[in-house]
Amino acid sequence: MRNELELETIIEDYLNGKLSEKEAQAFELLRANDPAIDHKVVTHQFFLESMKAYGNTLTLKERMNAAHDTIDVKALSDQFRPHPSYIVNLWRNNRAALAVAASFILLAMVSVYSIQYNTKQNGSYEVMSRELVKIKNSQNKLIRNINNSKIDKAPVTPAKFGGTGFALTPNGYLCTNLHVINGADSVYVQNAKGDSYKAKVVYQDPQYDLAILKIVDNNFSTLSTLPYKLNKNAIGMGEDVYTLGFPKDDAVLGEGYVSSKTGHAGDTTAYQVSIPVNPGNSGGPLLDNQGNVIGVISAKEFQVDGAAFAVKSKYIMEALSAIPQDSLGKKVSHLKRSPLQGLTRTKQLELIQDYVFMIKVYN
Amino acid sequence: MSNKLSSSLPTDREVVLGILNNSEEALNKLYVGYFPMVLQFILNNNGDEEDAKDVYQEAIIVLYNKIKSGDFELSSKLKTYIYSVCRRIWLKKLSKESKKAINVTDFEDIEAVETDMEAHEEKDKQFEQMQSALQLLGEPCKTIIQDFYINNMSMQDISEKFGYTNTDNAKTQKYKCLQRLKKLFFQA
Repeated sequence: MRNELELETIIEDYLNGKLSEKEAQAFELLRANDPAIDHKVVTHQFFLESMKAYGNTLTLKERMNAAHDTIDVKALSDQFRPHPSYIVNLWRNNRAALAVAASFILLAMVSVYSIQYNTKQNGSYEVMSRELVKIKNSQNKLIRNINNSKIDKAPVTPAKFGGTGFALTPNGYLCTNLHVINGADSVYVQNAKGDSYKAKVVYQDPQYDLAILKIVDNNFSTLSTLPYKLNKNAIGMGEDVYTLGFPKDDAVLGEGYVSSKTGHAGDTTAYQVSIPVNPGNSGGPLLDNQGNVIGVISAKEFQVDGAAFAVKSKYIMEALSAIPQDSLGKKVSHLKRSPLQGLTRTKQLELIQDYVFMIKVYN
Repeated sequence: MSNKLSSSLPTDREVVLGILNNSEEALNKLYVGYFPMVLQFILNNNGDEEDAKDVYQEAIIVLYNKIKSGDFELSSKLKTYIYSVCRRIWLKKLSKESKKAINVTDFEDIEAVETDMEAHEEKDKQFEQMQSALQLLGEPCKTIIQDFYINNMSMQDISEKFGYTNTDNAKTQKYKCLQRLKKLFFQA
């Protein structure tokens, strides 16, 4: 046992590098020749390493415990402990997600609001032709016919649809909306005095909803010079305008102003006018204070007050240019100056009303 | 709930150098700095303060051994590493208890620490073997061995401390103790 103790001491010193160089060489020789001693060295080395690691860990743990004691664990726990309330926990755990969701909802609300705001004037488009189904109308006509004791070729059956049109030339070319006369078997026009004339459609422009009619009745006598001219230039917002139309059997004046330079859904071929219009106003002339025709009343916004639309007069000229110039005779746009200029509204209307016709459509 | 760590956190570099130099101050800073993060994690995943302490200390040991072994690269943040190790240790503890897959609520990014954990488990096993062997060894052998091998006391001091008549007797006693301890340690 004495020897083994000596051996153990030598092994330990050897492993710790405490042997002198000579001793170490002698021991290595011994170790090489004796497997038992070699095994002891290996075993002891492993043991010493384990012991060292154990010691290090133990020291580390002691130090950590010392550090741990400096921490106020209780205060921290109270801070971090999950809150007993489910709602608070939910909030704590999903704060980021909730924030994202909230911003999303806010954004959605803002966009929905702005879309609604932008599209306030987005009612459906409602054309202003009138369905004439009242029997009373025809009775009135009958009475008028008897009183005038004229031979009228107009059919006695009531017209199905009606609208307004206005003269473009003294020889009987009229302008109206295409939707007024669309699908018509026959078209009759009636002036303010109640005289009906047969007319035919000579030109249709589906793009701008315009139609040109020509009175082809033998009873029709050429009109005197037109009191108005077509306005070639664009008109500004806020311009006072008026229209004459036939929402009922007698001409009705509607006054208003240009409220936008574009029509329904930003349509640049039309104006938006704030003017009261009703079924039957379609095809009526839109005139400014100087008596220039600036457009043709064509439609109004459905369920929106004070938003009617008028096709710009520029497109009437385009439509006119499609008709042979010699058959037009004296053209409306040839006037240098409108004869209505400077007159009062009442005087203007007196002059105009002979050139505005009720359009009756039979089909 | 402010889950931001206090601004007195040591830099990662400071910690690594401190541990390599065995600096107690660096360890303290490290320990105090990252404990709240782990406490928050454990408390919110069915643990208590004691669990947090155990898990955290184990994680620091893993970090320590990794730095000491010299193969620690600052590829990720120290914070992420500590959090990942703690998470891994805690998940293992939870699955041991309930024997089923568990979802934990995370508070930080995580990274893969599997290889480090395997090495650590090996070392931990040795540590526990040594601990139980020393426990079985009993007194005064345990203290003699610890004084000699861990506290690096000389046989002279040990002999005086325990009241042996001479150093040789103390050496014989230590030899006997060591033989018994080795037997216990390698048997386990």
